[in-house]
Amino acid sequence: MSHKETDNSTKKDNATTSRRNFLKKIGIAGAAALMSDNASADVSAGSSNPDAEITASEWLQGHFVLMSDEEKKNAIGRLEKRYTAQYGKKTTVSDAPPLEGVLFGYALDISKCIGCRRCVHACVKENNQSRYNPVIQWIQVMKIPRGNFAFSAEKLNEGFPKSSAMGDYGVQVGGNAYAPVGGLSVEHADSYYPADEKVPDKNFFYVPVQCQQCEKPPCVKACPVRATFRDPNGVVLIDYNWCIGCRMCQLACPYQARHFNWGEPNLPAEEMNPKTHYFGNRPRMRGVMEKCTFCLQRTREGRNPACLEACPVGARKFGNLLDPDSDVRKILATKKVFRFKDEMSTYPKFFYYIG
Amino acid sequence: MKLQSAPVTIIIALALLAVVAGGLALVGGLDIRKEKNPGDNELAKAAATAQPVTNCFESRETYSAVARTENVVPQYGYPNVKCSNTTSGVLWYGDPFDGTIPMGEMPKVADETQGDFVNAVVKPREPRLTYFNMGPDGCATCHNGTIVPFPKDKTPRLIGMHQDIVANSLQLMHGRGALWCLDCHSATNRNRLLDRRGNEITFNQPQRLCGSCHGEKYIDWREGIHGKRIGEWKTGGKKRWWVCTECHNPHTVQTIRFQPINPEPPPPLPRGMKIADYVRGDQSAH
Ligand code: HEC
Ligand code: HEC
Ligand code: HEC
Ligand code: HEC
Repeated sequence: MSHKETDNSTKKDNATTSRRNFLKKIGIAGAAALMSDNASADVSAGSSNPDAEITASEWLQGHFVLMSDEEKKNAIGRLEKRYTAQYGKKTTVSDAPPLEGVLFGYALDISKCIGCRRCVHACVKENNQSRYNPVIQWIQVMKIPRGNFAFSAEKLNEGFPKSSAMGDYGVQVGGNAYAPVGGLSVEHADSYYPADEKVPDKNFFYVPVQCQQCEKPPCVKACPVRATFRDPNGVVLIDYNWCIGCRMCQLACPYQARHFNWGEPNLPAEEMNPKTHYFGNRPRMRGVMEKCTFCLQRTREGRNPACLEACPVGARKFGNLLDPDSDVRKILATKKVFRFKDEMSTYPKFFYYIG
Repeated sequence: MKLQSAPVTIIIALALLAVVAGGLALVGGLDIRKEKNPGDNELAKAAATAQPVTNCFESRETYSAVARTENVVPQYGYPNVKCSNTTSGVLWYGDPFDGTIPMGEMPKVADETQGDFVNAVVKPREPRLTYFNMGPDGCATCHNGTIVPFPKDKTPRLIGMHQDIVANSLQLMHGRGALWCLDCHSATNRNRLLDRRGNEITFNQPQRLCGSCHGEKYIDWREGIHGKRIGEWKTGGKKRWWVCTECHNPHTVQTIRFQPINPEPPPPLPRGMKIADYVRGDQSAH
């Protein structure tokens, strides 16, 4: 393959201290015994229990980025076989490489967003998240009261700190002093507003939050095994098989964008999307992290992410930040744009704008 | 990158922990997290296994209806669209170009090229219109000069028809009193719209009509900033464009720019939270 998934192209033989070697040290037989007695059987020989044989090889597999083409082919083959058997439909697992000369960016118009949550559910349909027990959603839509710049005489006597037994005290400012003004204050944000009221409610604005694909991703810094990394297109990815489930990245992320499979994911076969990518929407297992990948399985093949396609008001825009004619670049050039939690210095490639 | 031995020990320790924890969980059948909102989970489960909804809509309820068709992409067994069980809104496109036609002749952009319109496709509007489909000649089935005479001039008057589209023709909710039917509809060829320069435009290209007055928005739309395009993200790639009337009802924009819709269900509350900390904007703090 011509591209490397990571920027710091690490030579394969340098990775002498992988989990694979660790497992070798404690003894393959022992590790295999932990999983199933079938596991030590020859991997290539068709076994009656495809899961067991695949599990063994998966446990011994290295970091995908560091694998040889041959190893990748085997890993992909194993997964396709397992998913096809498990979900009863022909499943493809792509390992399409990153694109040349592309840096992905996303822009979202908060003056248009109506908070309908279609993006949330489109994402779930596309990306094979667990549907229940646990419910995993990669996008969270915050409903935030609109700031009020208007001065109104009736409000002048509102908003003072309540008097108590100790008498009136505190900083005596009334009017709008206690109402949020403009900006993206997440104070009073509510992500659980009910579905039985029509949206938009004109007193609120809505801010969907998903992985911001930071240029300086704190999650990547926090990962002790480099299971999560930034690919050359600027998308932060996870090798689910390499993830040890320590959840350090979840704590490091200021956007609550990372989600953990506490239990065995529940993905009904008829709901499963059989077009997958190794680093994208292939079904995950218990005990690993997952998050938005900008629909890697689509975007590496030229198609728009599922959340963009679902948005009924056209508030979501996606494209190549290195192409001056892309929608996102035009927005950066002509609209009022900001980043969420700018003060964190994470440099997201997900922009919010006012259209 | 060469790892030193201290981090290695940590990694090994972590890996060991993971193995042990996993093993424990396997052996004990222990569920690390007990769901606190079984109701929500049951709902989610029911939604995930329910029969697919077949009558869906995209942006404008009833005026952007789509029917779900199975196996449009046989390779993956994809239907054309997947829709919400609760709102019938289209959530996901198996084939983003299903049911589209070429956008048709569009005015050239400043640099004398077709810009991004080269590979543009749209969903035709004519099949969506109630009155257009009442007879073989479209609107002209009635508006042929004899059944309904051609109006003599553009002076607004009360019309005794189409109240379902415009409740009161003297109070058209577009343009704050400055616009009337015949500023947009042709007087003599009712199957066509009419722009400010008197060019006839089909219902499938409303952007050419709207664009003649809303130049600024039209430019944004043409650049892909206003409105919506799905399909390929690449500049010049094949895209399906949403035309203006797929989102805006030209007869109501003054009061309803975009018709409000029902949202999809919220996620279950986090463990331990009984009610959402739902604070209304008008409630003063503290
Ligand atoms: C069933 C017959 C019928 C069809 C089909 C029909 N119309 Fe009409 N329309 C009428 C009648 C009758 C009037 C005039 C009522 C009056 O003068 O009080 C009218 C009036 C109008 C007017 C007001 C201006 C005028 O000519 O008096 C507009 C605009 C209009 N129609 C648009 C349309 C459009 C656009 C279509 C096709 C999408 C359409 N109509 C299809 C019956 C019809
Ligand atoms: C701003 C331009 C504009 C004005 C003014 C306007 N229309 Fe329309 N009208 C349209 C467009 C565009 C469509 C096609 C709508 C679509 O694609 O959904 C349309 C569609 C219609 C239809 C067909 C709707 C259907 O579902 O069959 C009728 C009837 C109609 N107009 C009547 C009127 C009448 C009567 C008036 C005046 C009271 C009027 N229009 C004023 C732009 C206009
Ligand atoms: C003949 C000129 C003309 C045409 C054609 C026209 N509009 Fe308008 N439109 C207006 C005017 C005038 C206003 C009022 C602007 C204002 O009040 O600032 C308006 C307002 C609007 C608004 C904003 C409503 C508001 O009150 O702020 C929307 C949305 C809109 N038009 C959409 C459309 C769409 C969609 C079309 C095409 C179907 C269209 N217009 C065609 C003249 C036109
Ligand atoms: C994908 C849906 C979509 C399409 C397609 C679309 N719009 Fe809009 N448009 C919106 C939304 C959403 C708003 C914001 C409504 C609001 O402010 O409540 C809007 C707002 C507007 C406004 C009022 C803006 C303002 O700031 O005053 C105008 C005018 C307008 N659109 C014209 C057009 C025209 C002309 C076209 C076609 C060239 C078009 N729109 C296509 C969704 C759309």
